[in-house]
Amino acid sequence: MLGLIILAPLISLVNLSGLPGYESGDLQFWHSRYIRRVLWFSLWQASLSTLLSVLPAILVARAFALQPSFPMRALLLRLFALPLVVPAVVAVMGVVSVYGSDGWVSLGGSLYGLNGILLAHVFFNLPLAVRLLLPQWQTIPEHHWQLGEQLGMSAWQRWRLLEWPALREALPGIMLLVFMLCLTSFAVVLTLGGGPKSTTLEVAIYQSLRFDFNPARAVVLALLQLLVCMLVAIATLKLQRLPEVEIALNSGARMNRIMHNPLNVALILVAAVYVGLPLLSMLVDAFTGPVVQVIASHYLWLAIGKTLLIGLSTALLSVCAGWFLLQYNASLAHAGQTGRAKLVDLAGSIVYVVPPLVIGTGIFVLLSSRVDVFKWVYPIVIIINALMGLPFVIRSLGATLRQNYARYDYLCQSLGLQGWNRFRYLEWPLSRRSLGLAAALVAALAMGDLGVIALFGTPETATLPLVIYQQLGAYRIPDATVTALVLLCLCLGVFWLLERGIGGKPDA
Amino acid sequence: MLEIRQLAFRYAGEHSSPMYFDLKVEPGEVLSLIGPSGSGKSTLLALIAGFLAPGSGRILLDDEGIEKLPVASRPVSIVFQQHNLFPHLDVFTNVALGINTSLRLAPQQVSEANAAIARLGLGGLQLRKPGELSGGQRQRVALARALVRRRKILLLDEAFAALGPALRAELIELVKNLVDECKMVAMLVSHQPRDALIASARTAFICNGKVAAVEPTLTLLEQSELPEVRDYLGAP
Repeated sequence: MLGLIILAPLISLVNLSGLPGYESGDLQFWHSRYIRRVLWFSLWQASLSTLLSVLPAILVARAFALQPSFPMRALLLRLFALPLVVPAVVAVMGVVSVYGSDGWVSLGGSLYGLNGILLAHVFFNLPLAVRLLLPQWQTIPEHHWQLGEQLGMSAWQRWRLLEWPALREALPGIMLLVFMLCLTSFAVVLTLGGGPKSTTLEVAIYQSLRFDFNPARAVVLALLQLLVCMLVAIATLKLQRLPEVEIALNSGARMNRIMHNPLNVALILVAAVYVGLPLLSMLVDAFTGPVVQVIASHYLWLAIGKTLLIGLSTALLSVCAGWFLLQYNASLAHAGQTGRAKLVDLAGSIVYVVPPLVIGTGIFVLLSSRVDVFKWVYPIVIIINALMGLPFVIRSLGATLRQNYARYDYLCQSLGLQGWNRFRYLEWPLSRRSLGLAAALVAALAMGDLGVIALFGTPETATLPLVIYQQLGAYRIPDATVTALVLLCLCLGVFWLLERGIGGKPDA
Repeated sequence: MLEIRQLAFRYAGEHSSPMYFDLKVEPGEVLSLIGPSGSGKSTLLALIAGFLAPGSGRILLDDEGIEKLPVASRPVSIVFQQHNLFPHLDVFTNVALGINTSLRLAPQQVSEANAAIARLGLGGLQLRKPGELSGGQRQRVALARALVRRRKILLLDEAFAALGPALRAELIELVKNLVDECKMVAMLVSHQPRDALIASARTAFICNGKVAAVEPTLTLLEQSELPEVRDYLGAP
């Protein structure tokens, strides 16, 4: 189990470094202007996307935090969770639909390139950053707000003395996470950028393998991408500051603090329009588009079937792998073998550092000389996506399982509760909610994935995201919009079914 | 003198019951408030501090109503059980916030803050962060800040509850001296009858959102006729 998880990325890496000798002109690529330009653009767009997402997100999250009750607050917060489930290609269709040449807020032809990439990245990452930042305000003790009020702090002093210190802890980590997501973003750059001027490492890897058939260059690019991601990961570890807070005993949340400020509500509404508009516009475009022709196509239904197959198998594989990994980890940690437990933890989070296209390249290069990789599309895509989903499973399920273990393991041992009965009476009821959420997230991610399927897919094995990409490539934008709506409904539907089906009713 | 006159309050929500307070505290007095959890002790302090707004009634300090004043202008300092200090600021800065939240201090204000720190027995710890202090030292810093604020009303909301008996007694003595020196009016919420004995000549028993009794502390603790008091204190 554990072996498989560590081995898959490792094999690819070992394999990558062994390869360059076998094509001509290998290491020359380090000096190539093309690679330098791709690297520069990758970093540039990721930095800009991060700044444009996180800085406004601070203001929006603050507005949410200081405005604890206003009509539709919960609804708007849920809207901000939506981009997590919306596949990147669907978001791209939304952005095209709003800002494209026929859109409501047309930018003319300049949408393709850096502008479009930034618009789409901010659409994804601004809400994400808001959701990640908001809990930081909840770490400020209620007593601190009261003291601030009693001491007569101005809004600026409250920000400087109460809010900023709470935020400072989390900000570097959140910025680096967004940076990493933008650095490894594939679908957005492939569809909205892609020209020689606006290509990132991730897309360049794909183009080298699938268009230029130049595995050596792909390998160099993949190694470069891996290096950059590792640097970001190391920076994240270094910057993670330990909080300097007293341990809170009571939340004291019953004191209600009301600081009504119309500016805050306005800010939230602007952000909500930015997030909601692409989805709304795409919805309108899709319903006024060639719905019947697209739905009637046999090809679409085949793609729906494959998308579902990949999504559900990936969720199953990823959740099972994560479950056993975490159980093993919890038992090791409980037995005092913290060193080995940390190793298992590391194996799970290493996937964070290795982008899917890098693993994909490894597998592609490893297998392509031995078998026909295009015949093995489904297993390959499912395994890579399951690996990619592992960090989500670990994050969603890890805390619950560790807590269960720490609280109830002695009790279970003394009662002799083990095996299936322990699962049935203890672990399932206590962890089904996190389990459902993890499965739903991984399924939605896998169904919306364009990267791995683009690398290994063919027109015969296309999933919905790939179909959308093909339609876009053929300039059949109305068709692509309708297909995007189908994919969106499918993702939301599967997400909802898995979350409720496995997790049970919300208040259960 | 602090006078709470027919002060009414009710939390939002169906299951909350109305609270109704009447109470007088003399200058220089430390009045203890005891009573079951949820009886309204902390609510009363929050009403005086202005964190909660009363439905009706008056809060009078020397016959002047303060119940309409904004929180920052009230003549009130409060010390909680925890979270009194800002963890990223050192001791001196935490105290100096009581003088001026912009932290731009005149030289004589700096020496005032230092004097308060020394008065609370924290001399030399000015540059420590709260995380590097003991629980007792942290509460002393909070008291030093209350001292430099020079407000007439001092509210102690279970301020010493997390400390051991000896330390509690020591800090209560300190508070009594400060209150006496500055002719403040102080109220101490505590769960330890012994604290009330050390701190207060008179103690108020709060029950179901009302001041059920105000009596000399020893009388209340040992000879009260009220069944609620007997239930709260337990067997003799």
